[in-house]
Amino acid sequence: MTDTPLRDVGPAAAAGPASQIRRRRSRRMKALFPYLLVAPAVIYLLGITLYPGIYAIIQSFHAVKFGPWQPVGFDNYVRLMGDYQFWGALWNTFVIGSISLTLQCVLALILAFYAYRDPWVQGWRIVFLVPMLFMPSAVAFIYKLSFLDARVFSDLLQRIGLIDGNLAIQSSVWGSRALLILADVWQWTPFLFIIFVAALQGQDEEVEEAARLDGASWFSIFWNISLPLMKPVIAVALILRGIDITTMFTNVFIITKGGPAFGTETISYFIYRTGFKFFNFGYASAASVVMLILTIIIAQVVVKRAFVSARN
Amino acid sequence: MASVRRKKGENLLVRYLILGGWALFCLVPVLWFLSIGLRPRTEIITPQPIYWPTFSLDAWHMIWEDWPMWQYLRNSVLAILGSVLIDLVLAIPAAYALARYEFRGRDDIAFYILSTRMMAPAIVAIPIFFLFRNLGLLDTIWALMLVYAAINLSFVTWIIRSYMLDIPKELEDAARTDGASDLRILWEIIIPAILPGIITAAVIAMIFAINEFLFTLLIASTPDAYTMSMALANFTGGSDGVIYNAIALVAFLAFLPVFLVVVAIQKHLSRGLTMGAVKG
Repeated sequence: MTDTPLRDVGPAAAAGPASQIRRRRSRRMKALFPYLLVAPAVIYLLGITLYPGIYAIIQSFHAVKFGPWQPVGFDNYVRLMGDYQFWGALWNTFVIGSISLTLQCVLALILAFYAYRDPWVQGWRIVFLVPMLFMPSAVAFIYKLSFLDARVFSDLLQRIGLIDGNLAIQSSVWGSRALLILADVWQWTPFLFIIFVAALQGQDEEVEEAARLDGASWFSIFWNISLPLMKPVIAVALILRGIDITTMFTNVFIITKGGPAFGTETISYFIYRTGFKFFNFGYASAASVVMLILTIIIAQVVVKRAFVSARN
Repeated sequence: MASVRRKKGENLLVRYLILGGWALFCLVPVLWFLSIGLRPRTEIITPQPIYWPTFSLDAWHMIWEDWPMWQYLRNSVLAILGSVLIDLVLAIPAAYALARYEFRGRDDIAFYILSTRMMAPAIVAIPIFFLFRNLGLLDTIWALMLVYAAINLSFVTWIIRSYMLDIPKELEDAARTDGASDLRILWEIIIPAILPGIITAAVIAMIFAINEFLFTLLIASTPDAYTMSMALANFTGGSDGVIYNAIALVAFLAFLPVFLVVVAIQKHLSRGLTMGAVKG
């Protein structure tokens, strides 16, 4: 309450009981005021998280095809636990996500490290930003065209003489995964780069200067001074990027459709396919609920800590 | 400090090789996009890729003459601007409360708002699909507007809150001793003072809304509610296969205004992208 002004203390304090009641009421009003301010936003967000969450939980205990819902108890969950496609989707999400995130983080750190004290840093930022501002669905189509339909990549490699014959990306699990990773790295490394550059620019130059005068090499300054200082920022940036990577859908939907042999099917695509391709909504909801629980655990354990430490 | 600051042992050649190399990696595919957009359909999928295509405005004519592109554009603009407006109306008061008042549960509420950003769209896709179906909102831009607003609300609230936290309290205290109410202070002092932050939040929300794909795919099933990104996904022209040159050209046309806006708010971008956690 330290921030709310107590304007009505003064003369009103000496007045009769009627004004005392009014004052109490207005104080209660004041205590409620911040809640009233946040309420619309919170109610709106509950509408898209709590309502769907409950709905998915209820639906996950039913067999839902086209007709009425049939209660089936834990059947959906039991089936899910034995479904190798579900585990495969979790594994794919993890593999594609962790490789992509690691690459993006390392690349963005290297680029930020070289760019932040360059005189043309503004220019680099603008150039590096470009991929991020294209619609992801369009990027996905062009990558599909260049690597799969028109085989430009394969053709280029043949021209340099690295390979003979066409590269069969489409039928190779790792080839397809690499393509998804490449498209993601191309488009989203700038996200991390922009954040890292800002963090490095915000650091105190004097500490660096002192270390340099002590004869420390640039690499040791970066590794021992700049990087530890950046840790909280890196954590926040990786979490935000990590969320988007683990929910990857657009590229899978457009470029690989989860293939070959379900090798690139992410969890988002699994839920989409089960629900909206096979109309197995109860089963898809069970998968959603499992994901929801995982998300809440990760949010509570990792994210809360990262955001609190970044603020301080 | 504006001069080239060289660190001991650092090679400028290495620096420019790395930065220049990445710049090429960023820009060559973009030129390739453009070359796809400006070539005739016959030169897109060929036994040997064509690197120097014939210039052609086929795609340009196709976009405007064969498709209701203006309608898609209007749908996109209405849904996105509407969603940003909803976000600002909801987020500004919420951010103000979270930045300026002490109340029980404040930090939990702030974290709850943040955590909604972590929800995978696929998790809530099915219930939201049924919700809109029951409300009769499927295939309307109203549904898109509501969904985009929901996706971005956490971001917008946190960014605005971060900017509000930076405003010195003295500014408000002066107005308060003059007897201004809290809401008037918010409207007349805080909002003008954090306008750059509000614009940054709005631009970032706009980008995420343009990029949104899964919900749009589920909600928009006819051209009535197609947005630009859906229009692209539907340039598959039935028996004609995917119409890549139209996709590339539309992507390019959509890129240009976004690029200009983002360059204009460049300074605030890093702060916006981290929801205020990094002060650029």
